[in-house]
Amino acid sequence: MSPPVLEIDDLTMRFGGLTAIDRLSFKVERGAIHGLIGPNGAGKTTTFNVVSGFYKPTGGEVRLRGETISGLRMYEVARRGVVRTFQHSTLFAELTVLENVLIGTHMSFPPNIFAAMAGVDKANRRAARARAEEALDFFGLAGLADELAGDLPHGHQRALGMAVALAARPDVVLLDEPFTGMNPEETRRMMELMVKLRDTGVTILLVEHDMHAIMGLCDRITCMSFGRLLAEGNPQEIRHHPDVIEAYLGGARHVA
Amino acid sequence: MVELLAQTGLNALYAASYTALVAVGLVLIFGVMGVINFAHGELFMLGAYAIVAVYADWNLPYLVAVAVGMAFVGTVGLGMERAFFRPLRDNPLGGLVASIGFLMILQALVSMGFGVRMEHVPPVTQEVIVITERVRLPVFRLAVILAAVVLLAGLWAFLKKTRFGWALRASAQDPEAAALQGISINQTARIAMFIGAALAGVAGALTAPLISVNPHMGHSVIVTAFIVIIVGGIGSLEGAVIVAVAYAFVHTFVTTFFDGVIADIVGLLLLLIVLIVKPTGLFGSTDRA
Amino acid sequence: MAKFAALFGFGAILLALPHALSFSQQEILVFLTINVLLVASYRLLTLTGEWSLGHVVIMGVGAYASALLSKRLGIYVPVAMLLGAVTAAMIALALSFPLFRMKGFYFLIGSFAAGEIIRLLWKRFRDPFGGPKGLKKIDPMPDFDIGIYAFDFFEPVSYYYFALAVVGVSLWVMWRIERSPVGLTFHAVHWQDRLAEASGVNVRAYRTLAFVLASGFAGLSGALLAHYIGTINPNSFDVEQMVFVLTWTIVGGTATFYGPILGCVVLTVLNEIVLREAGFEQMRPLIYGLILILSVLFMPKGLESLVRGAFSGRNARKNKAGETKAME
Ligand SMILES: Nc1ncnc2c1ncn2[C@@H]1O[C@H](COP(=O)(O)OP(=O)(O)O)[C@@H](O)[C@H]1O
Ligand SMILES: [Mg+2]
Repeated sequence: MSPPVLEIDDLTMRFGGLTAIDRLSFKVERGAIHGLIGPNGAGKTTTFNVVSGFYKPTGGEVRLRGETISGLRMYEVARRGVVRTFQHSTLFAELTVLENVLIGTHMSFPPNIFAAMAGVDKANRRAARARAEEALDFFGLAGLADELAGDLPHGHQRALGMAVALAARPDVVLLDEPFTGMNPEETRRMMELMVKLRDTGVTILLVEHDMHAIMGLCDRITCMSFGRLLAEGNPQEIRHHPDVIEAYLGGARHVA
Repeated sequence: MVELLAQTGLNALYAASYTALVAVGLVLIFGVMGVINFAHGELFMLGAYAIVAVYADWNLPYLVAVAVGMAFVGTVGLGMERAFFRPLRDNPLGGLVASIGFLMILQALVSMGFGVRMEHVPPVTQEVIVITERVRLPVFRLAVILAAVVLLAGLWAFLKKTRFGWALRASAQDPEAAALQGISINQTARIAMFIGAALAGVAGALTAPLISVNPHMGHSVIVTAFIVIIVGGIGSLEGAVIVAVAYAFVHTFVTTFFDGVIADIVGLLLLLIVLIVKPTGLFGSTDRA
Repeated sequence: MAKFAALFGFGAILLALPHALSFSQQEILVFLTINVLLVASYRLLTLTGEWSLGHVVIMGVGAYASALLSKRLGIYVPVAMLLGAVTAAMIALALSFPLFRMKGFYFLIGSFAAGEIIRLLWKRFRDPFGGPKGLKKIDPMPDFDIGIYAFDFFEPVSYYYFALAVVGVSLWVMWRIERSPVGLTFHAVHWQDRLAEASGVNVRAYRTLAFVLASGFAGLSGALLAHYIGTINPNSFDVEQMVFVLTWTIVGGTATFYGPILGCVVLTVLNEIVLREAGFEQMRPLIYGLILILSVLFMPKGLESLVRGAFSGRNARKNKAGETKAME
């Protein structure tokens, strides 16, 4: 078994009196699709916010390939290979689809102001553009390159959010409810893309409410509730775990 | 030395009194409407010009002039509320920029009406209380201090004891919730704007006989008021009063022992430091921005 | 090709323009040219979403620095101008450390306070800044000859051509920056700094970059001004000037590169033709104040970005970029 790429170790995040994450620990294996589930308000998004560097944890730490990354700024975490998407469609709504993805290539092709002024950054720009178009192609958005991102239907916006993240060629990508707003057909296509992505070696940490998608995709699942670790295992184990069934008030039917 | 300190302390107390009036008005407006009134210094200037017109030019009694100035500037405040703060309610920075435009208009109108030269207001009373040989308190300054205390106490009573005051405080805490309670946002905004502007106007009217009145006098007033409300915690009335007093002392002492420009620089540095370290100010807890 | 011809024709008009004007109009043309650079640099600053109230003071830093360098150290004026621009950029870099810990109107108040401090320093230190009276007898541009044209800087027309060249090159540089990946990143930082940062953009560094660049160009415009009028003082760079810049910018709208420039040109022409001819010249602050309020009220597109930059979330709904040509 390969060493874990991402380790969440005894992580705690408090907002004033509210403990959003309570001594949470789990590991994500390299090249896995790892699900993070739990009822609303369990602390999943907050976990993403801490891992990606948006918040500094109150306690505990996050390690990437053994190196502590908690406390780093968001862009520093991104530069180490961990890129996230946001729960609510967060895009550059005023920019075109292509421009959105070009921002995603920022780390691979960092702009240089002097080169830009002298006009000697053509090769860099072309490479960034090629990378961006590739990402759009992958998510089936190539035909929409010149649309404003804000004008896209919701499902396409979710896909574009992932395209922006993946244009950065991350080692680990954190996806926060990527399938909300997609119809079943779109969801099915996205699931196939996720598997394809995993097969290229990208590690995926996935928060999702669509249990069908989670069970179908994930190699391993962590379930949390009220900020704490509730259960961990493969989809089979999670599906039948009594605490998980309990936590999802709807019971077994809901979980499966 | 003790005498110099005592005299400087008295001067500071006087500076604190009108600074507090200006700053409290600014905070009240910010608290209820969520907007920074950049033209607040010009409202102070208008109050001073009310004295020039009513007291110096028309020879009406000083107290009448003060009352006229207060009512007039309060009314100007109502006009501002209606003309741009209300339409820009969802756009606080737009409201701020509009008030910068209004500041220019007031300066220009006063310059056209009175000319740009300094106006000298004849003293109301020349009497001086001699405490010791070198510690003197002009009676008029004492009157300004007392007037400020009375006005601030009145405001406090209004806010704590009346229905309108309660409504104002409620909408400062949470405009939506207050609106749900049936308190009209427009009404609380009007009250806050009238009181806030009137306080600036009365401060200008009270100090007019002691300072040189000119169309650009609002500038240093607004700079001081910004320092006070930012350091005091924007939105905190108590903070504004406390810091107004503290800052007046710092400023007066630095002015006495170094010079006025250094004192201004010290104040502005203080403002920047507070903005860096604790943007909500020393006494502020809620961050409306 | 047609684009090239249009550009050529536009250039020819700009070169011929002063010869159709009276002496005093030529002087105004020089100021207008300088102000175009100032307002374009202000837009560069707003690209990342922050609006400063200290920009005119930064312009003054360039003016004071260039004037002092040429006056005290005898540095060749054009070189002093460049150094003035660099000084303004450096001061901006230093200011960015405290200021970029603030956002929205805290940033506005902070930039205002920082600008006031600089103005007070000019007032306080007679040596070298000349105190409240400022600097007088600033060295004019030395005359020179480029073969086809002999610059005689006693003439406004010569200074106009010189300023036109400097401003033209500056605008071209700013345009290239905005059209480059750097410019795209500025926009990204403005509209969604969280997503930009999650994509590996050092948001703070880009905000600083825009601020420093914009300040450099503002400083250059200040240097151009100083060596033209020959005398500057702290009140040359006060709130009133800032209101002019704000008005031009907001009237023009910040969505496009040329919006604020258009705002500046149109309002200046209106001011000079309508107000001066009608004898209302001293009503300029009044008119500008009114226009500022009216454009905030009724042309919010220009201000839209300002609101969203600072209050993203509250007004999270999008408008389309490029719709914002407020002067149509
Ligand atoms: N910035 C914040 N300030 C205060 N409370 C927060 C903040 N972010 C999240 N929370 C709280 O933390 C808890 C977990 O929220 P979240 O991580 O969004 O849950 P999930 O994504 O699992 O639905 C919730 O109770 C939420 O209200
Ligand atoms: Mg969530």
